[in-house]
Amino acid sequence: MFSQFLQDALFAAIAAIGFASISNPPKRAYLYCAIIAAIGHSSRFLLMSPQLLDLHIVLSSTIAAFIVGILAVLFSPIAKTPAETCLFPSLLPMIPGMYAYRAFGSLAMCLYNNGEDRFSHYFYLFANNGLTCLFILLGMVIGATIPIFMFKKISFQATR
Amino acid sequence: MNVIIEDSEITDNETVALSHPTCKQICMFLSDYAAWLLGCGATCIRLEKNVNRIAHTFDKNVDMCIMPRHINLTVSSKDRLTSFTAISSIRCKCINFDMNTRLSRLSWEVADGRLNFEQTKKGFENIINTPTANKWMVLFLASVANASFCRLFGGDIPAMIIVFIATLAGFYLKQILTENKIDIRIIFIVCSFVSSVFGATDNLFSIGSTPEIAIGTSVLYLVPGIPLLNSFSDMLDRHYICAFSRFMDALILTACLSIGLCGGMVMMNIGMF
Repeated sequence: MFSQFLQDALFAAIAAIGFASISNPPKRAYLYCAIIAAIGHSSRFLLMSPQLLDLHIVLSSTIAAFIVGILAVLFSPIAKTPAETCLFPSLLPMIPGMYAYRAFGSLAMCLYNNGEDRFSHYFYLFANNGLTCLFILLGMVIGATIPIFMFKKISFQATR
Repeated sequence: MNVIIEDSEITDNETVALSHPTCKQICMFLSDYAAWLLGCGATCIRLEKNVNRIAHTFDKNVDMCIMPRHINLTVSSKDRLTSFTAISSIRCKCINFDMNTRLSRLSWEVADGRLNFEQTKKGFENIINTPTANKWMVLFLASVANASFCRLFGGDIPAMIIVFIATLAGFYLKQILTENKIDIRIIFIVCSFVSSVFGATDNLFSIGSTPEIAIGTSVLYLVPGIPLLNSFSDMLDRHYICAFSRFMDALILTACLSIGLCGGMVMMNIGMF
């Protein structure tokens, strides 16, 4: 369990650095993105873990995003970057990409299969994946944005 | 900045012009500034704050209408007797947090009186002409990131290696097609197709024990995460038009990604579910 937790944190940090590089952040932001993503993603891992709290992915993502948001706001004056520069790349490993394209894939399969049973099955998959994706995103953004509004002065004066 | 001028009693016309630019000068500058800031992926709330900060420093009021692809900006004097309006198209169009950071810092440097108008314009030109990060480094880091992502989803070592190669091929193709100014939707379809074909090799040659994770995560580097986050962030700030536009953009790109992935799976004779 503990080694899984550490692995989750390590790979989330690597993923955050790589995905952050696509959106061209300042070089000094990479380290902070990695730390914040590692803490955020491993928090979600713990929250979802059946041995611990066993929370649903939507609630876990919201809480983890809130933690990420707080850390990003606190780190942004140190990194001298806007809070989003540390925040958004750190959230990227938690983006429900798998659910998103499964939803579209199911929609395509709905059209491909004419029988009622098959259609219902794929429509269920489409709705299930689509709604999960939507609510994870909503929860993540609400969770991550609350700290920016809570500490507005720090968030918007970080680059001063 | 105005205080400094009053203290030193400078009356030279040129210097005063630098410190007291007209509504037209401010408006032209701010419309460019806003177009680049929005284009590089800033949220609407940040855009409003930065633009207002600069305008107020030069004793001007500013009102903006932020549209998905244009910004309509009116700058007026404090007494509202003179005003100037400009509409500018969004520039840049790719997420660039370095530019976002530096443009935000520029607004604070202006607000703190460290730059006059001419210096601000020069600083702005300098920022928008800064080259982006080394593309080979980005290619490598994105590939490593996607391989790590595969691991986070429970993929084994062979799956990670295959995802690394699939991302390397797909992302390199994306860079080439982007340089050739191909439509972004076509880029997404082609790249996800190529990556999924590479990702399917795990299943084809029975290399590892998690082939479904390899193919599933091989295209995840294309998921438009930042536009999705920006859209929801704008929605919370009640910028619904921008939020909807960004969400639709992200949705269409995700649909393109899925089309490419489905195409790759059909070609490689792999079932999706």
